[in-house]
Amino acid sequence: MDAIRWERVQRLFHAVADLPHDEQSEFLAAECLDDPSLAADALALVVADARGNPVIDDGVARAAGRVFARADAQPLPTERFGQYRITRVLGEGGMGVVYLGQRDDLGSLAAVKILRDAWLSPARRERFASEQRTLAQLNHPLIAQLYDANTLPDGTPWFVMEYVEGIPLTDYCAAHSTSLPGRLRLFRDVCVAVQHAHRQLVIHRDLKPSNILVRSDGTVKLLDFGIAKQLESVDGVADQTRTGMRLMTPAYAAPEQVRGGRVGTYTDVYALGVILYELMTGRLPFAVPNESSDGADALRPAREPPRPSVVARETKVLPNAAIPGSTPSKSEWADLDVLCLTAMHQDPQRRYSTVDALIRDVDHYLSGEPLEARPDSARYRLGKFVRRNREAVVAASVGAILIVAVVAFYTARLAGARNDALSEAARVERIQRFTLGLFEGQDKDAGPADTMRVVALVDRGVDNARSLDAEPAVQADLYLTLGGIYQKLGRLDRADSLTRLALERRRALFGPSRPEVAEALVALGSVRIDQAKLDEAEGLIRQGLSVARQTLPSTDPGVVKATAALGRVLQERGDYAQAIPLLDDVVRLNEAGHVPPTEIGASLSALADAHYYAGHYPASDSLNTRALSIYRAAYGDRHPLVAHVLMNLSASQFDRGNYPQAEQLARQALVINTAFYGAAHFTTAQNLTMLARALVFENRFDEATGLLHQALAIRERVYGPVNPNVASTVNELGNIAYQRDHYDEAERDFRRMLDIYRAIYGEKHYLIGVATSNLASTYLGRKDYPRAEQAFRDAVRVLSATQGPEHLNTAIARIKLGRTLLRERKFAAARDETLAGYQILVKQANPSISFITAAKKDLVAEYDTLGLAAEARKYR
Amino acid sequence: MPHGLDLSDFGTTFDDTRALDELFSATYEELRRLAAAVRRGDPSATLSPTALVNEAWLKLRESPRVASATPVHFKRIAARAMRQVLIEAARRRHADKRGGGAAVVTFDESLHEPASGADDLLALDDALDALARIQPRQATLVESRFFAGLEVGEIAALLQVSESTVLRDWRAARAWLANEMREHAPRRRESSGA
Repeated sequence: MDAIRWERVQRLFHAVADLPHDEQSEFLAAECLDDPSLAADALALVVADARGNPVIDDGVARAAGRVFARADAQPLPTERFGQYRITRVLGEGGMGVVYLGQRDDLGSLAAVKILRDAWLSPARRERFASEQRTLAQLNHPLIAQLYDANTLPDGTPWFVMEYVEGIPLTDYCAAHSTSLPGRLRLFRDVCVAVQHAHRQLVIHRDLKPSNILVRSDGTVKLLDFGIAKQLESVDGVADQTRTGMRLMTPAYAAPEQVRGGRVGTYTDVYALGVILYELMTGRLPFAVPNESSDGADALRPAREPPRPSVVARETKVLPNAAIPGSTPSKSEWADLDVLCLTAMHQDPQRRYSTVDALIRDVDHYLSGEPLEARPDSARYRLGKFVRRNREAVVAASVGAILIVAVVAFYTARLAGARNDALSEAARVERIQRFTLGLFEGQDKDAGPADTMRVVALVDRGVDNARSLDAEPAVQADLYLTLGGIYQKLGRLDRADSLTRLALERRRALFGPSRPEVAEALVALGSVRIDQAKLDEAEGLIRQGLSVARQTLPSTDPGVVKATAALGRVLQERGDYAQAIPLLDDVVRLNEAGHVPPTEIGASLSALADAHYYAGHYPASDSLNTRALSIYRAAYGDRHPLVAHVLMNLSASQFDRGNYPQAEQLARQALVINTAFYGAAHFTTAQNLTMLARALVFENRFDEATGLLHQALAIRERVYGPVNPNVASTVNELGNIAYQRDHYDEAERDFRRMLDIYRAIYGEKHYLIGVATSNLASTYLGRKDYPRAEQAFRDAVRVLSATQGPEHLNTAIARIKLGRTLLRERKFAAARDETLAGYQILVKQANPSISFITAAKKDLVAEYDTLGLAAEARKYR
Repeated sequence: MPHGLDLSDFGTTFDDTRALDELFSATYEELRRLAAAVRRGDPSATLSPTALVNEAWLKLRESPRVASATPVHFKRIAARAMRQVLIEAARRRHADKRGGGAAVVTFDESLHEPASGADDLLALDDALDALARIQPRQATLVESRFFAGLEVGEIAALLQVSESTVLRDWRAARAWLANEMREHAPRRRESSGA
């Protein structure tokens, strides 16, 4: 038959195929008058069509079924393989058949594996030989061992290996109702076997429970290196063009394996994760794709399986043992979720980078230590740590050990590979918060007193970070974190240079308009606040806030943080009118958002500060009281944050002249701060100063002076000589000198204070007013009235412009100006100033405050001299 | 068994030996799997080996030689591989039954299956060759649909004809092959026994 004739026959066939039988012949006869043989051919086709084609209709699978014999029906040229005689079929796979063999002399058993249809392709022979080589290379008690190997005369290769009489891992656990820790220990053994293979540069690539047998004595054996891959190098990645074509078991195959991407040791880590999932839940993480799914499963999107903890609750495969501790607690389940899902992360970069890392976390879990894989919230890590260390640990070492752990954690992870989630900003943020949390004490009632030691450890962390040039993003994260630690430790120079480096790196990496850059700008601005470089601080923070607002949603923590920082710098500048609404926003956003209560506490406390500086004492006290109860509930009574709020409340009491209350609050705070920070910390210095101030007003000068000299020494060392904290200490010393009528000493102190404030703030700051007012007081004390009057007028002007005409400080300056004018016998002017000051004071302050008493006394003198006895009588 | 596929009618070179070798191995293992599933009475055995072909494509496309082929082209190659592996196995099975092999050990003689399956397949192979001489397009159609389980739509795209043409061609070819196999099978057996 030729093509033309075949075309005609087909046309006839299609014309009649679906006609009733009796019409077919008729139609064909009529159509083929010229060539009846055409009609015959077409009719034969119609008959064949009706009869069907058994081979084709059965499908290729049945054809294969008939062509390929069953393993136990497969003829073999011999029954002897080395020392072993085969007795029965153990199993068959795509590659070959495994028989049970027995040694005649010893009777010992072994598994004999034979490559079936070796003729088919060199690739198969190569793969079989490769499995044999791999087994020969792997010599480990948890891996089935190779005994012998050779080739039959017909070219069929075979090898003999250890026969493992066991059952698959999952079946074993089900049959023995193995507890969760028991399952984890078996799983750990599997990991150790795989780890051994990886150290020999072998990836298994087909890990699944049926390849992991457990003997009745609980010994694990890893089998079937049939598609194992020998890595060419230690980088742990195999070339995908060499990927074996054998179908891996889809349920355990890593996404990169399914897609035909590069496989590596991380591919085995994925399969181990799936096995762990199955051990914990009795279920596979994903529905196994149907074989007819047309390869769509190969392109399955990255997705997270349901958390093992959730599935395990449903499936209840874990024995409900009565032994306490054998059922995981809620937090333990959270760990197991992280452990398992990290191992089987869709993205190889996010998995445990090695089986070693996986084993470490299994061990961490089993001994109740924090996991390395945890995307750790501060509370989580600390919770774990504290649970393990309920017995008191020497305070100083707590912080130090944690620092070692964190720095080691960072650098180990970073140095380990160009991998992992650390480069992720969110995660770094958490780590950072945790790290910084160390210095704020968390659950410990004592803190890193050994600051030097901690600094040394952080220094080491910085050295490690420097070596990570190839990882600029991670390096920048690390610099930012370590910069934050230095800032907390008061090492502002180092904080500055690291934070600046982080900012530069991030700008270079990401460009100027990115949240990462915003974060670094705000961080650097915050260091600048501590350095009292407020113009720079405000510039940086505003820049950061603007980038954050452009790149993040308005309620994003990044925006909230930047807003808080701006509020803080404005407050530091004395611009309370602008700072308060910003800080109000921060409190509101925090209360609306899902932030820990302690963060709400922090924002309340910042807002309280602004109100305090603005002279809104009741508002400030009420905010601080809320913050205090939040901190006490979260941290207990001996936490440094509790001390911080106590100090703020003390300051407020002090300002209103309630000195005994101020003293008492400051003393409570000092106990906590000295225990936590140690005697030479800047926070302790601040606390000492506050206490001293209260003591001064209670006329306990010697005690106060001693405390203040301690504080000054700490501050000069920590902050350098030109710093507001140094200035405020000097101010206290000046006040004491003044009270003791040591005017020269007082003048020297107040001048130094004024110089410092001028250098930092310029002329327009209330502290300039305060310093000027104090300096004026020394002139007044020395009876140098004209200088005093001029200085007080300057002070009133500055205070009234910066803090407002109604502010306590303005009032006090006016009363003092009034006293000066009185001494100068300018009675009317004196009366005006004193009266104005007095009227402000009585509205706000405790009537016993010395300034009110002084004002009343002066008013009496003034009115008397002015001949207004009736007015004078009001103030007697 | 030749190590390369006969691809002379594909109008292109596809000669990455390693990739082809892998394709053979995979094909063999898939057919083994299908065979075992059939013997177990597993209903999935009635499914075509489409998944294998898709998967093989995904894996082999990274090979520079394979990358130049389109997915459909590749599926044709996979179909050819399926056919050649199966036919070669049938040839060996046929030879065994006729005393070609030196079998001394089998664990269960009763399990020996009739060789008729192998013979039918060899007849189909011959008939397909004959069809290719008359109408290559239809031979390609049968090879793609029967051995690799390609969908009608894919075959239509491959052959650049409509789906209804594919269905008509298939029906006619299936009937023609049945006649051809019945006519020539006995002759073939005689000749291969010589």
